[in-house]
Amino acid sequence: MNAPFYKFGLFGDEASFIIAFFIGIGFGFFLERAGFGSARKLAAQFYFRDLSVLKVMFTAIITAMTGLYVLSRFGMVDLSLVYLVPTFLVPQIAGGLLLGVGFVIGGYCPGTSCVSAATGRIDGMVYIAGMIAGLLGFGEVYPFIVNFDHSTSMGQITLPKLFDLPYGLLVFAVVLMALGAFAAGEWAEKKFGGKEPDPDGSLIGASRRLTPVRALALGLAAVGLFAAFAGDPYRGNRTTIDTKDLAMRVGKGADLIEPVQLADWIIQGRSDFRLVDLRPQKDYAIYHIQSAQNLPLASLTPDFAAHSEKILLYSDDSLEAEKAWFLLEAQGYKSVYIVSGGLQGWKDFVLFPIKPQAATDSAFERQAPVARFFGGAPQTANASAATAATVALPKLAPPPLPAAVPTGNSTAQPRKKKEGC
Amino acid sequence: MNSKLHTPRPYWNSYWAGFGLGLVLLASFVIMGRGLGTSGAFTTAVAAAVHKVAPSHAENSPFYAEYLGDGTRSPLKDWLVFEVLGVFVGGFISGVLANRLKLTVEQGPRSTTARRLFFAFVGGGLMGIGAKIALGCTSGQALTGGALLNVGSWAFMWCVFGGAYAVAYFFRKQWI
Repeated sequence: MNAPFYKFGLFGDEASFIIAFFIGIGFGFFLERAGFGSARKLAAQFYFRDLSVLKVMFTAIITAMTGLYVLSRFGMVDLSLVYLVPTFLVPQIAGGLLLGVGFVIGGYCPGTSCVSAATGRIDGMVYIAGMIAGLLGFGEVYPFIVNFDHSTSMGQITLPKLFDLPYGLLVFAVVLMALGAFAAGEWAEKKFGGKEPDPDGSLIGASRRLTPVRALALGLAAVGLFAAFAGDPYRGNRTTIDTKDLAMRVGKGADLIEPVQLADWIIQGRSDFRLVDLRPQKDYAIYHIQSAQNLPLASLTPDFAAHSEKILLYSDDSLEAEKAWFLLEAQGYKSVYIVSGGLQGWKDFVLFPIKPQAATDSAFERQAPVARFFGGAPQTANASAATAATVALPKLAPPPLPAAVPTGNSTAQPRKKKEGC
Repeated sequence: MNSKLHTPRPYWNSYWAGFGLGLVLLASFVIMGRGLGTSGAFTTAVAAAVHKVAPSHAENSPFYAEYLGDGTRSPLKDWLVFEVLGVFVGGFISGVLANRLKLTVEQGPRSTTARRLFFAFVGGGLMGIGAKIALGCTSGQALTGGALLNVGSWAFMWCVFGGAYAVAYFFRKQWI
């Protein structure tokens, strides 16, 4: 089974509207069955008299959540294709508070107001009119609050990802929390609403039998427990890309490292990055930048390095490195960079830097020893035509001692990568 | 005529109603790859209406423009619009089957109809604004995002309950 069906193209837009209509009928039907066409019943939630809102909402949430977990875990649904509303934390907190206040004042939420209006409740119809007025007003002020509305963007993010906990474990935690809330809610109904728990319809009633409602609760708890140990529900490698962020970084060139910069790092003996040579092994054997490891594109798996590690990529030119960069970004690596210009850039700016006409001698002075450090040779502009012979890649040999490099600002002390702090 | 036919039937047990709702939500995930929603449909309807009355105003507004689509088809040809039409029909069917169809105003014993309707309008307005700031309402955020363990949805959900409980005391005369 390949679900979500719509996302796999099993039917088109027109058919999806018919499906929407029937899903809506189910939605409205169960809302009305629950008594949510009545504002009094809904509002009683906030006076602890009748906690139907809590019970219906959380039963629905844990039913859909556990069901989706099981279907995804067994490969029937591709969970990454189920649309997740992006998180904008502060606007969502503010909007939630506003909705809560509106709920107590108006007695409905948008969904329940529809079933209330459909069953003849005049207050439900007036509520909808108010909502439309609110939307019209919002449409007019939107341009002034658009910045707030788009603030604290966190992208599409789930609780398991945020807390770095297994998905199934959170499923189980939510089920347990919901069942606990149900028990507490029934207790509150008894205390504040004077409602004796219905022996067949409650979890904490006096009856000792396994009533259908208790069986439902047990069943959900059992699926939750299964989820806690059954592993990741995502199919294959999860690839979530914040395209906006990506575009911004590429646009700013923040994904590039200049060869000269890399040369400085190597000379300084920094080891807080991993340099990856993407070229075929035979090219790597002939020449590679010091400290680079040879990893062809296919071996860049989601676990070849820690996701927080700084990874520098290079190839002959930029194309292969750009492919790899995108792949690693998609796999969730946090800081991936491309050595600008690839190995060609390394040759042009580090190994065989050409002295530009405009450059002062002192500026070039610093470059020359760097080039020699890596076994190259600085070139002068007028000699460039005749350098074909001299521009041969240096032999792979142990580098000269760092002390021989008068870069001035370099401490030449290899620093150990910081771990676990 | 049997009078029993006309007495409203009791509501379903909350857990079973919730279970049914959960299965509908699950069906939506599996069939469509998306959850339920309500406020989005009303926004689309409002945007379409504004576009009808003042086309250039709607097209120039960054808010309405998002809901108008690319202009190749009516903005009302939208998944959520059809879903919400279904919500009205489903609610109506359930109401008919349970003898709960009645032209009335839902309010507490100490409330007056005028005040109740005024508050219903104000509450609806606040919800309309809040739902747009939060990118969804109780169905699109709390219910759908809750089941997907969406970070923003859970923050939103706690704030809905928090906001409601915080002010409930001041509006008690309307309900209890």
